Parts: sequence; C-alpha cells; structure tokens
Amino acid sequence: MPGRQLIMSFPVTATSHALPDYRARGGYGALAKTLGQMKPQDVVKEVTASGLQGRGGAAFAVGRKWQVVQYDDGQPHYLIANADEGEPGTFKDRWILENNPHVLLESMLIASYALNVRNCFVYIRGEFDLPYRRLADAVEEAYAAGLFGRNILGSDFSCDIVVYRGAGAYVAGEASGLLASLEGKKGYPRNRPPRLTVKGLYQRPTVVNNVESLSNIAWIISNGADAFKAVGTPKSPGTRLFSVSGHINRPGVYEVELGYPWMKFLDEDCGGVPHGRAIKCVVPGGVSSKVLTGADIANLKLSHEDLWDAGSTLGSGGMIVIAEGTCMVALLQVLMRFYHHESCGQCTPCRHGTGWLHRILDRIVAGDGRADDIERLYYISKFNDGTTICGLGDAAGYACSGILDKFRDEFEYCIEHKRAKFGGNLECLRSS
Amino acid sequence: MKHLIPEFEKLRERFPAGFESSLVLPCLRRIQEDRGYVANSDIEELAVFLGVPPIQIEEVLSFYTQFRRKPIGRWHLQFCHNVSCSMNGAENILAHVERKLGIKPGQTTPDSRYTLSVVECLGSCGTAPMMMVNDGYHENLTFTQLDELLEGLK
Amino acid sequence: MPEIFINGQAIEARDDQTVMEVAREHGHFIPYFCWHPQLSVVGNCRMCLVEVEGRGLDIACNMPVARGMQVFTNSEEVQAHRKAILQFITLNHPVDCGICDKAGECTLQDYHYEYSGQRSLSHDEKVRSTKFYNLSNRILLDNERCILCLRCTRFTHEVSKSMALGVERRGDTSNIRPVEDRPLSEDPYSDNIIDICPVGALLSRQFLHKSRVWFLQPTPSVCPGCARGCTVQIWHRKPEWKLKALDQRQNENIARVTPLDNPAVNGPWICNKGRDLAQLFERVRADEPMLKGRPVTVPAALDEARRLIGAARHPVALVSNWGSNEELETFKDKLGEVFHCFVKEDWQPQPGERLADDLLIRADKNPNTTRARELFGHAEPGFKDGTDLVLVWGEGFDFARLPPRARIIFLNSYLQPENGHADVFLPVSIQTERHGHYTNFQGTVSAFAPCFEKKPGVLHAEDLIKALAAPARGHP
Repeated sequence: MPGRQLIMSFPVTATSHALPDYRARGGYGALAKTLGQMKPQDVVKEVTASGLQGRGGAAFAVGRKWQVVQYDDGQPHYLIANADEGEPGTFKDRWILENNPHVLLESMLIASYALNVRNCFVYIRGEFDLPYRRLADAVEEAYAAGLFGRNILGSDFSCDIVVYRGAGAYVAGEASGLLASLEGKKGYPRNRPPRLTVKGLYQRPTVVNNVESLSNIAWIISNGADAFKAVGTPKSPGTRLFSVSGHINRPGVYEVELGYPWMKFLDEDCGGVPHGRAIKCVVPGGVSSKVLTGADIANLKLSHEDLWDAGSTLGSGGMIVIAEGTCMVALLQVLMRFYHHESCGQCTPCRHGTGWLHRILDRIVAGDGRADDIERLYYISKFNDGTTICGLGDAAGYACSGILDKFRDEFEYCIEHKRAKFGGNLECLRSS
Repeated sequence: MKHLIPEFEKLRERFPAGFESSLVLPCLRRIQEDRGYVANSDIEELAVFLGVPPIQIEEVLSFYTQFRRKPIGRWHLQFCHNVSCSMNGAENILAHVERKLGIKPGQTTPDSRYTLSVVECLGSCGTAPMMMVNDGYHENLTFTQLDELLEGLK
Repeated sequence: MPEIFINGQAIEARDDQTVMEVAREHGHFIPYFCWHPQLSVVGNCRMCLVEVEGRGLDIACNMPVARGMQVFTNSEEVQAHRKAILQFITLNHPVDCGICDKAGECTLQDYHYEYSGQRSLSHDEKVRSTKFYNLSNRILLDNERCILCLRCTRFTHEVSKSMALGVERRGDTSNIRPVEDRPLSEDPYSDNIIDICPVGALLSRQFLHKSRVWFLQPTPSVCPGCARGCTVQIWHRKPEWKLKALDQRQNENIARVTPLDNPAVNGPWICNKGRDLAQLFERVRADEPMLKGRPVTVPAALDEARRLIGAARHPVALVSNWGSNEELETFKDKLGEVFHCFVKEDWQPQPGERLADDLLIRADKNPNTTRARELFGHAEPGFKDGTDLVLVWGEGFDFARLPPRARIIFLNSYLQPENGHADVFLPVSIQTERHGHYTNFQGTVSAFAPCFEKKPGVLHAEDLIKALAAPARGHP
C-alpha cells in the first residue's frame, strides 16, 4: 500500500458503492457535522487551511478558487464536478464514480452548502457507461434518503443535482469548454477574464472542481484540515489517485500518499515492467505533462514539488509507464493525432498548430522527414505556449517538446535514415 | 420526436429555470437512442420545443463525436487507438477485426451488422486494449475474446 | 480613471475599457482580425497579443485596464508572435490572391506585408476545403480562405439576429456553414458579412470578378431605399482608370455599394436593398423631352410647359419625396404659390420586402418624405373639380387617378410608358448625377455627391424648376 488511504480506504465488493455500505463506513457523517455545527464560511476556511490542491491537472488551490465566490451576492451560484476525464492515461475519477460515488455526492453537498449553491451538476463524459449508471443510481438513493432536495437533514439547506452527460469531446473537460457544453452548445472554451468563479455557467459565479478534488472534502470536514495536512508533504498535502497503465504488470488505480517514492511505487505496488524490461520513460500525469526518463525519476518522490523541480507536473495523475524498446517517434505520432482530433478549432495557434504537428509526425514516421522538422516542431510548440484560449494548445506543445527534449536522437535518426531506431514498436514484448 | 416530449418535459423540471438551452445535449442523446440517429426533422422540432436557434443544434451535432445524423450498423465497434491501448496491442486487435469483418474504420459491413470506428482515449487505459460496442465497454481484449464477442452480436 | 502606460506613454483610461480600446483611442495601432467594435469579443485570432510587464503576452481585445500596467504593443516578443500567428493563419490559406476579389482591401494581405513577409515554414500540403460554396444567392463562401474569426456568425446572431450561420465540425476541418432550410437569403442584412470578413472568404456574387478594387473609387451617397437614409459608398471606376476600348459601359456603371460608417444613422451597416442600388439607378433612362410622345428640344418643351402653367386656372403639383432638399426648397420657393402642392409617395413597399424592423429598415420606402412634408404638408393628393393641370414629379403615380381632362406635365428619370401620355415630358437627373441632401425620418441631413455625368438631354430638376417659373416667352 503506497501510504495512507483516504478515498480507496475500503475493500471493493458487489455492494460497497451503494448507500447502506457507504453509511456503514461513516458516510454522510461529514454532511451531518457540516449542517449541524458549521457555518458556510467555516467550511471554506477548513478547506483552504487543508491546502487541498486541484486534482484535475492544474493543481490550483481549491480553497482559493472557492474564496472568489461571494456568498451573499444575491445571484445563483453553481457547483460542477468535472467528470469528463478525457486526458489519455487517466481513469481514476472513474474509480470513484464506479466504486465510491457517494463520497463525491456528500462532498458536493458540503461544497454547495459552503458556496451557497442551490443547483449542482456532475458533468460526466458521454462515453462512460458503468460509471454513469452507478452515479445515477447513487443520486437516486441520495434523493430517496432525503440527502438531496429540500431541507436536507432537517436544515435550511436545499440542494438539487443533475448528472449531465457529455457527447464526445476532450475539450469539454476544460472548465470553460465544459460550461459551454453544459449550456447546450459546442464545447468552445472561453477567454479569461472574467474568471468562471465570477461569470461562469450562464454568466453566474460557478466553481468547477475535479471529481477527486471534491471527493476529498468529506474526509477533510470529518477529520479536520490539520489531519489532512499531516498526510502527504507540506507542499503536497493528502493523497493522489494515480491511474497506472502502459507497460506495467499491475495496471489500475492506486491511491498514493504524496511524498511516496516513485520507483518503489512502480516496482512494488504496481509489479514493475513486464518481462523485466527497464523503464525508458514515464508520463507522470496524463499526456499533457512532460515525459521523464527512467534516470530522471530514479530518486524522485511522487509529489508536486518533486515533479515541478524535475520540469514536469503530477497533472491528472495519469501515469503511463514506457518500457525500453518503445519507439518514441511512433508514440509522439499517436499523441499528435490525438490533439489534432480534439482541438476545438477556435483559436489560430492550436487549430492550425495541432494539425501541423500531426502532419509532420506522419511524414517522419513514413520516412519523409526533413532536416528542419524538429526545429519546426519546437516552433509550433513554442507559439502554442501561453498564446491560446485554453490549455489544449499548450498541452500539445508540452507533449511534443517534452518528448523531443528527452529523445531527440530518435527523431534525428528517423529523419536521417527514413526509419525509426525502434521501428515503430509501441509494445513491451518479451526480449528475444 | 413528438412522442418523446413528455419525457423531455420531465427532464426540463430537473433543471433550474432558464436552462432550456442545456437540454439540447440530453434531448439529442435520447432522440438518437430512440431512432438510431438524429433526423433533420428532429432538429426543427427540438429547436422549437426548446426555443433555441436550429443552428445551435446543428453545430452541436457536428462538434461532438457521439452524435450521428445517419444510421449506422447495429453494432458500433469503437476501438481506442490512443497511447496506452496502442502500447498494449490495440493495432493488432484492430487489424484482426479489419481482416475478420473486411471493413476499415469509418465503414459498415454490407449487411449493416457492424460499423467500425477508431476513437480516442475512453478512460480505460488500465484494461487496455479495449473497445466500446454501442454503449458498453469491453476491456482486456484478446483475439479469442473478441471473436466470441463478435459472434454473439447478431 | 486608471492611468496605464502604452509603449511608455501615460494614458488616462476609463474603468470599463480594454487595452485595445484605449490603444486605438490614442493612436497605438494593435492589429486584429476577429475584434470588431460592434460585435462581442471572441479573442480567437490571437493577432492582438501584446506584452504586459510582469505578465507576459495576452490578447488586448479582452484585457481590462489596470492601474499602472505597462503595455508594449511592438516589443520583440510581440513581433515574433505576430509572425507566428500569421504563419499559422497562412498555413492552410490558399493564397490565391490572383483570383480573389478581396485583393487590395484584404487585412491578411496588409498584415502579411506589415508584420511578416515570411514564406510559409510548412513542407506539408495545405488542408483543402470547399471553395465556391453557395451560401446564398448573394454570397459566395470560400472555406479555404476563411480564418474562422467568426465575425460573420456573430453578426447573424447579434446584429441581424437571423441566426443563419454557425460552425460545423472542429479543429482545422471546421467550416462556416448556414443552418439548413433557413438560408441566409432571408436575412435582409446578410451582405454586411461581406464587408466585415477580413479576407476573401465571403464574396458578393453581384460583384464577383467584376473589377479589381484599386481601379474603383467610392463616392459618398445616401441610400434612397427607405426613410433611414443610410449613408453609403457608391463605387465606380476612377477617372484615371476609365476603359478606353473594352466595354465602356463599365465607366458609367455602379460597380458595388458598401456602407459608409455613420454613427448617427446606420453605424457600419446597410441592408441588402442598398447593395442593389445599381438595379434601381441603372434602369433604362429617359433622355429626351417629349410632347405627347413626340420628341422635341428642351427649349420647345420648356416653352410648352410654361404656356400650360400660365394658362392653368387650378394647377396641382404632385411633388416627389425623392427630391433632394435643394430641389424641394427650390420648388417651394419658385412654384409653391403657383401650384396647389401635395407630397407624392414615389415608392410603396414591394411584396416580399421587409416592412420595418428594430435595426435599420423603415416602412416608408422613400428618402426625403420628411423634408417634403415639412414644405408641402401631409395631405393626400386630391383633385378638386376644375383641376386643369397636374405637374407630376417622379415615378410611381398611377396616371389613371389623374382628372381626365387635366393637362399633364411629367418630370421623370426613367423610360416608362406614362412618359408618352404626358402633354409635356421632361427627363430629370438622378442622385448619382448631382450633389444634394436628404433628410431622414429623425431629421438628420445627409449628403450625396455625383458619380457620373448626366446625359445632355437630361435636366437637373433644380434648374428645370427655375426655368418653369420664369415668365413664358410671348406671355405676360
């Protein structure tokens, strides 16, 4: 077990996701404590004090985001759980929705109370099937038990929830793209200012938080900010759910106490790389985070500060392990194809840049690379960094420049020899 | 679409006042579930029902990958070809299916039984390679499993 | 009133302004494609990126002013980014200026020369899309040239409210498309999107391949299509570019009509009727005076007209509400006592024409009803018993309503059957052949100037009216 468990803290059974089991392990106690003993600003204070960072990708302090919302401004406020989970390599919010949906619901109720939200939403990606059904069932259970609706647990607090299904767009996982989608339109992200916490859904103050970020709220309220800070590291309090996949013997979702040694996690908890192969590199937190080599991560712990120092981020927690022998040229081609497919097309650098990056990779893979292609890939990445409406353009650039920084030689080789050093191989096969 | 209106009225009540525009996605999903795709007449009728401009519905239909304006095969096989799946043999699985069914991604078998697509990450990387068949996930695919599965899809 | 600094210059800004607005007000030009003063901010072209000390680069069109902020609109970083944005825009752009009508007034061309001048850095084939897409019977769309600034879609959503346009698909295969079964043809303001398109993606069919814009000059005028009196620019061949051999009619034709920005009246917009003024003004003209259909000289016609006026005991005048302020005032002055005057409505709304709306279109389809009524009153034309002479000025009056035994003096510009029924017919000039002013329904006076020379046999109504008022030869 990679450290203390706050969310995945119970054995998964056939019924562990349902309300009775959730109650049996203390579920909705935090909500009762909140409504019975705390004022809304107390909740905000506690969450801020805990230092909880966003777990969707940006690691923005949750409390600081909440504080922008003026409780008594006379406007409707909205809270939205971002369950769009489209970042390749990421499937940890799915675990929560399938196996512990009530912790999300309870946390959303507490957050809604704190933020004066009367209507909250879960925006769930359209492709999710079982996670959606489990969540929808949990919502029904909660309504039946009087945990949603009017005068919850006998208090003045009323709250309704709608589970809103997306329809297939990665860009709808970006907070403002999500809002556009929830407003029934194409998922075009918006420019800021104004911040969404000032003008969000239908121009009202809106908090969009990742599923996992919210799911920590119940524990924080039950146990206190100090107890939360005692888990993890000072700069990275608490735990993170990591989705581990790629070339690894035991892929899956793991809750890791932040500060846990990375290699220990991969070797012991995740069973190491198949066929005893060495780690070539790892994508730490979803493909939009910069790749780190086996050597880079040898002595790193899984924490924000360690990753930032190494020039990458924990991102979405989507960890992809890449074994020795993998062709990074083919891998980058897959990534560029992805961003090209998902670009919404609104702004100039990303709309044309993602297509350009993809076409260059296609050429290199096909043996038609040119001498200045690498320089061009860096150029496109650079001018998508900080110039776009949302982070998709930047992310495509990070994925590209990150891999080029570490494996430039493979690309130079492929351009010169018209075939890749590792022949386009993406699998981790038994060494011959 | 008219027979779905009672359902849509109920759905409208779940949302706050003034959220009619938000109903576009869930209504389209339901229409597609019912008919198999969204017809031109549905666009007009839904626009009138919700009080949104038809162009908004048209844009939504073409922006999101899950919406269809034409019917497809009975079984929509959607293979993820993103990173972790590719690293776990998705290309081989896909090639196997292409050979078996004689179609390429984007095509439908002549008997309208299967439609083949490649899609981006479905959030199932830990159980790669995998595919969606209509609405359901099928994970940890092997050739044998795949063959049995296809056999069972009539 | 926060003080900000643009390129080192201290400027007092207003609280609600963006950096783009402040910069423009103070002569610091920041390039842009998607921004438009009359449309919502979308910030998608990224051309207006500026550098802010301590904050890096961000778009100016959506940047609120902040006290003490230091903005640099032309730093090295900004210049490098502009070049890159232009690289991205031209990545898939066909650069077919040689066959594109927009050449010479194209923002992309202008910016390319001003800010980039670089060849494309791409080795790859351009993404192809539809060219010659039939957006409506008036507008052609070229998706390859389109830079997806979304000015056109915003216009149809925010200004004309026809909701006719949107974007299909996403990424670099996005295309502007009209909504099905509700073509842009029903939007009477559709052609404004041609003006606001920064490139040659939206082109006027009626102007398609007619002329290069640098051979043309715009003359300010006023649209006579309704009482709004939108100011327009009538484009016609520059004198130094007049054709000497091929098709000289082009020298005398209206090439196109575009809005003349006018905050007091129509802003930057006009309706499609104004675009079609050539169809109005280029109808076949009457170019010689006639007596009961028999061509005569101008002096002969004037003599007969004066004789009829002198002999009439109950003359009535039907004054055209297409007369300019000058012409109407002259008529009032010279003949206002001679005739019992009524204002005549030259044009009525046509079937299928939008009657009126909240934007520009007025139900009164005439340019100068206001001044005409000020001078000649509101009474409907009526003929008392004994009316023996009617002077009809302008088209549109049903001659069957005239008293059967009255003589008729008819002033008209166009070749129409009634011309031959008049006892005296006198051809008069149209507004493109002279100076003048109209007064719109709000009392705003706007000027028009001549584009063309009138033909020799045609008279300016102002001169004609003075001539009619002079004593008849041979009569006291």
